[in-house]
Parts: sequence; structure tokens; C-alpha cells
Amino acid sequence: MNTVPFESWDGAEAIFTFADKPGVVMLLLLGSVVVTFGTIVIAAMHEKHAYSNHK
Amino acid sequence: MEQQIAELTEKIAALEAAQGMSGTINSEIFYWWCTALMIAIHAGFLAYEMGASRVKNVLASGIKNILAFAFMVPTFYFFGWYIYLAFYNGFIPAEDGLAGLPWDASMGPNLADNATGIFWAAFTLFAATTASIFSGAVIERIQTAGFLILAILLGSVVWILGGAWGWHPAGWLTVKWGYHDVGAAGVVHMVAGFFALGVLINLGPRVGKFNADGSANAIKAHNIPFTITGLMLIIVGFFGFLGGCIIYMPGEQWINIYGQPATLSAFAFNTLMGMAGGIIGAWVKTRDPFWMMSGALIGIFCAASGLDVYYPPLAFLLGCFGGFVVPMVAVALEKMGIDDAVGAFPVHGIGGLIGVVACGIFASGYPNVIEGAPPVNFFGQVGGAIVMGLLGFIPGYVASLILKAMGLLRVPDHIQEMGLDIVKVPVEAYPENFIPGPVNTTDPVATPAE
Repeated sequence: MNTVPFESWDGAEAIFTFADKPGVVMLLLLGSVVVTFGTIVIAAMHEKHAYSNHK
Repeated sequence: MEQQIAELTEKIAALEAAQGMSGTINSEIFYWWCTALMIAIHAGFLAYEMGASRVKNVLASGIKNILAFAFMVPTFYFFGWYIYLAFYNGFIPAEDGLAGLPWDASMGPNLADNATGIFWAAFTLFAATTASIFSGAVIERIQTAGFLILAILLGSVVWILGGAWGWHPAGWLTVKWGYHDVGAAGVVHMVAGFFALGVLINLGPRVGKFNADGSANAIKAHNIPFTITGLMLIIVGFFGFLGGCIIYMPGEQWINIYGQPATLSAFAFNTLMGMAGGIIGAWVKTRDPFWMMSGALIGIFCAASGLDVYYPPLAFLLGCFGGFVVPMVAVALEKMGIDDAVGAFPVHGIGGLIGVVACGIFASGYPNVIEGAPPVNFFGQVGGAIVMGLLGFIPGYVASLILKAMGLLRVPDHIQEMGLDIVKVPVEAYPENFIPGPVNTTDPVATPAE
């Protein structure tokens, strides 16, 4: 997988993986957003489950 | 001769470039260590909250605090930094804020940008501080999911909006009203304290806190020494926090967040003097080590808005005043039927309020931000304090009301009585049962993976 966004260190600026592939950047960002907020949904479900186990 | 001049010119240019890069890297290093020190604030709040909890809830309190830190980092990356850069005019975003969007080239490793990452990190830790302030107030009865939603709202949206308005050289509060708050007494402490108050009204007290006639029972912390040590750690972290409130200008004098000249020495004088005053004021009033260490924080907040210009004995007296007065606010709050488990609203909300207003009294007339903008003035500070109070309280109250209606806010009373650890946490805090008290002795039947 070629993740390098530049040809040479000379004059390179944004050097993070996939910096030259905005589609991949957006996909990774979207994945992070889903994980972050999805985890809160899971936390809510876990709590409801835990409380129902201790009536 | 000409060749020598050319060589000399080349050497001077190289030296200038080296000096410039050295300054840039020193600046990065400075904020790197400020950020590291600020993690001590979170560690301190962690110890503080766990110590203030009863044994049956100690780990649940710890989990909540750790999660606040974890969720603050990505959410401040997703939208917090953008809000700071874009919303300095109010609610309409400015175009130059686009650099804060998470897909911008500056929001990752970039050899042409040594500043964004390190400032984002420092601001993220400020956000974590606000979430931690709120976290302590709601221990032992808030649901994790509801807490996380509120912590994200406070840490990655609300306080940073206040920061854009009043802690930014182009913020409308500073440019139009002359609002001055170098140490973030209003934008961090007032906002977080008033947000906590808004939530507490909807969340309600811990089971057993109040009797039917409205009188209060003391719910004792299970480990006061741990709580006091946590508070001392928070103070250590505040030296990183306040270091992060001043701007390193390579080759030039420091400037405050509003672009006016300042020194780190000024911050050192007034932080320590305010802190000492707060301890003494609280000691005189309460004789209670918990309040003495809270008084240290109160003293810092009471001096925070004018750390750059106060005469140090003034900071000391402000700290004494805050340390003496704020514990009385805690008592009054309890009489109103509000259970603020660690005094977050009095310490941060009222301590911050004293700090912001005091700056309008004692630093009135100091030039602030750009030429032509109003200087520091009493009405600007009072107006700014009202804005910060409302900015914290309204979102806290409304969001918690919605979460309450959705059943995501309060832990059911019978679960509170049982203890949160045995219900939600797969390990025990003190499995060898060496702490006397209501320790869980049954095998934990918690659902794992909190």
C-alpha cells in the first residue's frame, strides 16, 4: 500500500499518510467519528443491560 | 572584498534561519511540556473524584473521568479546534476558521507548520479540564452515556465557543467590550462551573443526600487523603495550564492571549500568591484540609483574569477573599437542595466569577487587544461574566433536560443503593477488603467492557 504523499523530503509540507488522497482521509475521519459516537450508543446499551440484570 | 561581503551575507542569512528555527522549536517544546503538565490536572481530578466517592462507587467514578479525557481528544479534533478558529464573531463562522477543519493539511504532520498540533494539544487539555470539572460534580449517580454526551458538549463545543469569544485576539467580547481574562477564569472555570450547575438541577442528588424535610446528610468521601493529594496534583497541572495561556514569541517578549506584552514571571508571581491566599482564606473559614486545597484552586481562579498585570499582594488578597467566601456558597447551594459532590460550582463557577469581575475593578484602564478597541473596564468584565455564566448554564440545563427525558441521565435509585461498581465494573477497587466500610463482598457480576 503506497501511503506516502510526496516524492521527496525537499519541499514536502503535509507528510501524513494519504495526505494526497482526500477520499481516503475523509474515509478515515468518518470511521473515527463513527467509532467515537457509536461507542456512546454502545455504552448506553451496556448500562441498560447492566441495570436490568440488577433489578 | 565583494566575495567576502557575499560570504558574510550568506552566513548571516544562515544564522538568522538557524535562530528562527531554534525559536520555533523552543516554542514547540514549551507547549509540549505545558500539555504534559496539564495531564496532571486530569490525574488530579481522577484521584479527587475517586477519593470523594464511596467505596461502592470508586471505580465507576474513575472510569467516567478517564473516558472524559479519551472522548475529549477526538471530538476536539473533529470540531473543537474549528470552533475556536471560526466563531470569534459570535455564531456565524469566519472563513479563516477553515484551517481548523479536521481534513485541513495543517491538522496532521506537516513540515511547514510547527504550531497547529502543539496548540491543538494544549487546547484539547483545556477542554479535558472543563470536562473534569463537570465530572466531579455528578459522581455516583450519572449514567456513563449521558455523562459522555454532556462532557463532549462542554469540552468540545461550549467552553471553546466562550474561548473564541473572550480568549481570542479577535473575539467579539474582547474587541467590542474590552473583556480581559488571561488565565481563563471565565472561559474555562465559569463556563464549566455553571454548566455543572445546569446539569445538577436536572440530575438530582445522590440517594440519601437529603431527608424528607430538606435537611442534608453528609455523604463522606471514602479517602480524604487521596482527594487532597489529587487537589495538589491539579495545582501542579495548573502551572502547565497557565503556561499554555501565554504566547511564546521566538526572539521577542511573551504576549498574552490578546497580543499584549506579558511575562511568564508575572504569571509566576500572581499564581503562587493567589494560591497561597486561597489556602489561607479557606483555612480561616473552614479548618478543613479538603477546603484548604480547594481554596488553593479558588485563589488561582480569583487572580486568573489579571495574572499578567496584578501587583502580587493584590492577587494574594483576592485569593484570601475567594478562599473565605466560596465555602459559604457551597453551604448555600446545599441548603437549596443541590448536591454538588465536590463543590465544582462554588469552586470554579464562583471562583471564576470573582476573578473576572475583580479584573474589571482592579485592572480597569489597561489597554486590551487592538488599538481602538475598549480597554479593560468594569462593565466589560461584568458583561463578560454574564455571558460566560449563561453560556455554561443554558446548554448544561437544556441538554441534561433532554437526556433526562430520554432516560439517559440518572442512574436508577436502587442501583445507586447497590453501588455502581458491582453493577457496571468487572473488577473490585479493594478486593482484599482492607478498608473498613460497605465494601462489596460478593463476587462481581458486572457486565464487562464498561
